[in-house]
Amino acid sequence: MTLPLAAGVLLGATAPWLGRRLPPATSVRLLTILMLGVALAGGFVLAVAGALMVGQIPVVAAEGQWSARALASGLPVPPAVGTLAAVVVAGLLLAAVRRAALAARDLVRASRACRRLGPAVDGLVVIDDEHPDAYALPGLGGRVVVSTAMLRALPAAERRVLLAHEAAHLAHRHHLWVQAAAVAAAANPLLRRGARTVGTAVERWADEVAAAEVGDRALVARALARAGLARTGSTRSGRSLALAGADSAVADRARALLAGPPPPRRALAGALTALLLVVATAALVTSVDTEVRFEAAESVYAAAH
Amino acid sequence: MAANGRRRGALEQEVLSSLAAAGRPLTVAEVLADLGHGLAYTTVLTALTRLHAKGALRREPSGRAFAYSLADDPAAVGASVTARRMARLLDAGHDRAGVLARFVADLSPQDERLLAELLADGRAQDGELQP
Repeated sequence: MTLPLAAGVLLGATAPWLGRRLPPATSVRLLTILMLGVALAGGFVLAVAGALMVGQIPVVAAEGQWSARALASGLPVPPAVGTLAAVVVAGLLLAAVRRAALAARDLVRASRACRRLGPAVDGLVVIDDEHPDAYALPGLGGRVVVSTAMLRALPAAERRVLLAHEAAHLAHRHHLWVQAAAVAAAANPLLRRGARTVGTAVERWADEVAAAEVGDRALVARALARAGLARTGSTRSGRSLALAGADSAVADRARALLAGPPPPRRALAGALTALLLVVATAALVTSVDTEVRFEAAESVYAAAH
Repeated sequence: MAANGRRRGALEQEVLSSLAAAGRPLTVAEVLADLGHGLAYTTVLTALTRLHAKGALRREPSGRAFAYSLADDPAAVGASVTARRMARLLDAGHDRAGVLARFVADLSPQDERLLAELLADGRAQDGELQP
């Protein structure tokens, strides 16, 4: 019963390492699916522990027509833990629903912005702006928004890298993976580092797609460096340093590109898939076990009445 | 449709970017020179003609050829405001689970040094980035 929770601890602790080790596309897909599985299974076992407690409340037991005493006998969790689990799972469920609602709101905002940006030719929107910036906006086929300052900062070959990178975000629907990971992390806070790892890995994924498209990894690294420096220079001279203290993501990405193509790491991917199966099985076993327990309590109730 | 293994629409995006970066009308030859090796003159001409037909470009006679520039879009100012507001709004979340995927985030001072070195090395030779 504690296995899905243990898997959450393990996954949360190893996520950054896994993110560096696995190829980015594998990392995004596998980690997100695993996180959703672990969050669901973890929430499920907590809900079961809570239900076994709530089921012992006389009114509830009478309504459900089972024996509260039979349900209480030989429980795998102490009462205090069960009660706590019920409270925790309710809170986590609320947090996950809230996160999902925020994600939906952002998606609506993004597609509304796409509509307002008008029918961009080939999905590219050039903004006349002195601040170097470039981003992909999903919705209605998506838009790539680039400021003139960013375009001026880069030579043509590196502009091609930028466009390929942003197109990869849209083509592979990276925002959905990132948001799914965020919902999983809201449902299970042990997975927070995993969600951050997925956020970093989608950038690496888009870098790899761009590198494959232009056929030059060093060129992609240089594009990142030049765009990053242009942005930082402009931020310092003009805008506030609201994002100062940003992580070292850009340098890590450049380093990963120069290190050569990522090896597939099939064994590690296989191990993670196995972990997902184990967690799913554990949740299933808990489900069957609980059903048996309630059925037994029901037959005790039926015999007594 | 695809030139040199580019994805669909990629060359058009590059041509638009090239004209936007230049900030002045460019002839086919100038766009070709900017985009660099591996492209045929006719490929660039076709892309420019298509973009002009879509209304994205304006062209004016320049010698015996045409010079192309980005068309003045009446909605451009509005789009610019929308894009900036959007970026602010989607950036505001601290949880980084937003929908907006930015090419590069802001750099830490160490990153800045590292990446400046990378560019300097790249000019001398395609050197390795030292951690």
